[in-house]
Amino acid sequence: MAVIAVYNIKGGVGKTATAVNLSYLSAREGRKTLLCDMDPQGSSTFYFRIRPDRKFNTKKLLKGGKHIDQSIRGTDFPWLDLLPADFSYRNIDIALDDMKKSRQRISRVLKPLRREYQNIFIDCPPNITLLSENIFYAADHILVPLIPTTLSHLSLQQLYRFLEEIGESRSKVMVFFSMVEKRKKMHWELMRQLIKKKGVLPALIPYLADIEKMGLYRQPVGAALPQSPAALAYVDLWREISKRMEKS
Amino acid sequence: MPTTGHRARTAPGGRRSIWSLPASLEVGPLIADLAKAFQVQPEKDLTRVRKWFDTHDWRLYRRKLLLFQEQCQWHLIHRDSEEQATAFSGGKCEQYRYSWDFPVSRMRVLLEPVLSIRSLLPLATLQTISRCRRILNRDGKTIALVYFDDHETRETGARFSTVTLKGMRGYDSGFKEVSGFFAAYGMGNEVAPYAPFEQGVRSTGRTPLDYSSKFRAKLQPQMTARQAMALIYRQLLETMERNEQGIIHDLDSEFLHDFRVAVRRTRSGLGLVRDVLPRAVLERAKKDFSRLGSITGATRDLDVYLLDREKYLARLPEKLRPHLDSFFTDMAGRRDKEQRRLSAYLRSPEYRKLIGHWHAYLHGLDQGDETPNSVRPVMELAREIICRRYTKVMKRGKAINDASPDEELHRLRIQCKKLRYAMEFFASLFPAAEIKRAVKQLKKLQDNLGSFNDLSVQQDMLRSYLAGLRPGSRKNQDLATAIGGLLTNLHHEQQEVRRHFDAASQHFSSEKNLLLYRNMFT
Repeated sequence: MAVIAVYNIKGGVGKTATAVNLSYLSAREGRKTLLCDMDPQGSSTFYFRIRPDRKFNTKKLLKGGKHIDQSIRGTDFPWLDLLPADFSYRNIDIALDDMKKSRQRISRVLKPLRREYQNIFIDCPPNITLLSENIFYAADHILVPLIPTTLSHLSLQQLYRFLEEIGESRSKVMVFFSMVEKRKKMHWELMRQLIKKKGVLPALIPYLADIEKMGLYRQPVGAALPQSPAALAYVDLWREISKRMEKS
Repeated sequence: MPTTGHRARTAPGGRRSIWSLPASLEVGPLIADLAKAFQVQPEKDLTRVRKWFDTHDWRLYRRKLLLFQEQCQWHLIHRDSEEQATAFSGGKCEQYRYSWDFPVSRMRVLLEPVLSIRSLLPLATLQTISRCRRILNRDGKTIALVYFDDHETRETGARFSTVTLKGMRGYDSGFKEVSGFFAAYGMGNEVAPYAPFEQGVRSTGRTPLDYSSKFRAKLQPQMTARQAMALIYRQLLETMERNEQGIIHDLDSEFLHDFRVAVRRTRSGLGLVRDVLPRAVLERAKKDFSRLGSITGATRDLDVYLLDREKYLARLPEKLRPHLDSFFTDMAGRRDKEQRRLSAYLRSPEYRKLIGHWHAYLHGLDQGDETPNSVRPVMELAREIICRRYTKVMKRGKAINDASPDEELHRLRIQCKKLRYAMEFFASLFPAAEIKRAVKQLKKLQDNLGSFNDLSVQQDMLRSYLAGLRPGSRKNQDLATAIGGLLTNLHHEQQEVRRHFDAASQHFSSEKNLLLYRNMFT
């Protein structure tokens, strides 16, 4: 049983693709899995062809309990459910700030769901806010997709500093390289520098058109193109992550 | 649109309805009409073969569990929800008989207390061709799944079709729409999720819960004594017949146990309920059933020693335990020999003739001449017999004191047994709660006497085994030491049980119990 937050300060690094494909793989193993779409853009929700519940919003999310139960949707895949995002999440920090123990709110909301689901994935919005702090507090693992560029590297260091500041352990962080372009020399250089560091996974996700096309066929690559290099790359990545999760 | 992940059967979440396809409907047009009414996405057809298991007396089904093997993997599921309790795959495609044959696993942990000493029997093999259709909304999202399943029982070729509608969490309206469509289509009443299992099992001639080792004869107070006794004997004979094959094929030790209990009950009835059957019939039955009792005795005795192996070992210090190995090997060898003899007997013309004769009398139209008790109302006779047995138990019980020889306790045990059987025969004529209480009180006394007797029989057997051991060899010396230890331990326990007899006896003859029995039976 684990809560896995997929996070990066930067946008457009493949967070949603990661959350969608890994939660799909977790469910395919027969583990009851929930994907929480916390990004107000609702991309994960879109990928599963789900429309958010009109009655659901930030307030209900933070209340938790039956408000969440009623909003969870079954995806087209056995064992995989989704908690759709709502556009009102864009102002979630204001709502959190008004609450007592504002850092632990999400953790409390997830508590009953931990009993129902074996794995819970959180697709996080790209920023560092009170919501991120909440998610870091609630998560057992923070999975960071990283495009091997200098700026990405900097953002990773920012994340580590932030975790230190809020008193969260760096050991929660698992980093993997995302959208890797083999013909770019700089990608290789950076990966060579980082690969030896603690918490960096050897499995990587290449930059592939099949992953970008998820927006067209609106389902995980493993379901649409099970034998494609993209699908197999996620299988490798999930295997690597499961191994590490078991160890910790 | 999704083309994989077509295993949604056991995934929890949404609602589910199952219909058996009425004979008046054909699947082809039904699927076509469904596609006209909704946006439908077909999935690949799947074929699965499941072999279903339970014990002879439905121990899994009774606990609302079902067990099947599919492609070498064992699945234990909850009967009503079809949710999986656990699955087990041992790698090799083995067919396990007893719970302890399973390698250590959650499956074994769950099965052990339920199956106890009973073996798993294959009930039916169901081959299912499953055609799945996804019902989509305008976004192409699946909002419900429909399965058109054709089941065939491999053993009999019997066929059965079901339609299953499975909803998705958060899409209740979709479920309702499709459900409404089926209702309008004339689908009829829903069936249980395990209906295909039941149909398959039925086609092989069995029905869930069609066997229980409990004796339950439904008598009517206005029946004549002969009608009532014939009904009781018929039921006991049926129990015997239903256990024959299990004994012959040595499926587990409970078949013989249940068979013997039915024989004992019959013998007890023949002795207790006098002047009801024609004299010639009675004499012959008494002789025949006495023979059945003795011919089945040896195997059962040996079964009991082998089943109690762990209990025997626990009575000895650890160091002495291995010395008993040769004793149990010896017992197992003897048991196999006896079992083969018994099995041969049950297949012999002699046995068939014996049973055939009894069967013909009980089921025949001509039940013979009237006898002094044959036309008396059963109620009257029942009261009379139970009263007589009760008085005897009380009389013998009171006569026993600390100085009485063991023989006296043995006789009391026999009297109690007769009373117990008499009460069980006629239980349905009396108020259920009271008869239950009366039996429970008697059982407490019987438990004490039973333990006392078992301990005495065990000591006798060990002593005679010891006497037959050839002296000299080291192995036999060790064995003799272990048996000596056992004897001491058994003797002490027997004395302990005897010490508790007084309390048990006084409890049974308490004022409250006296009233309970008097009110009911006089």
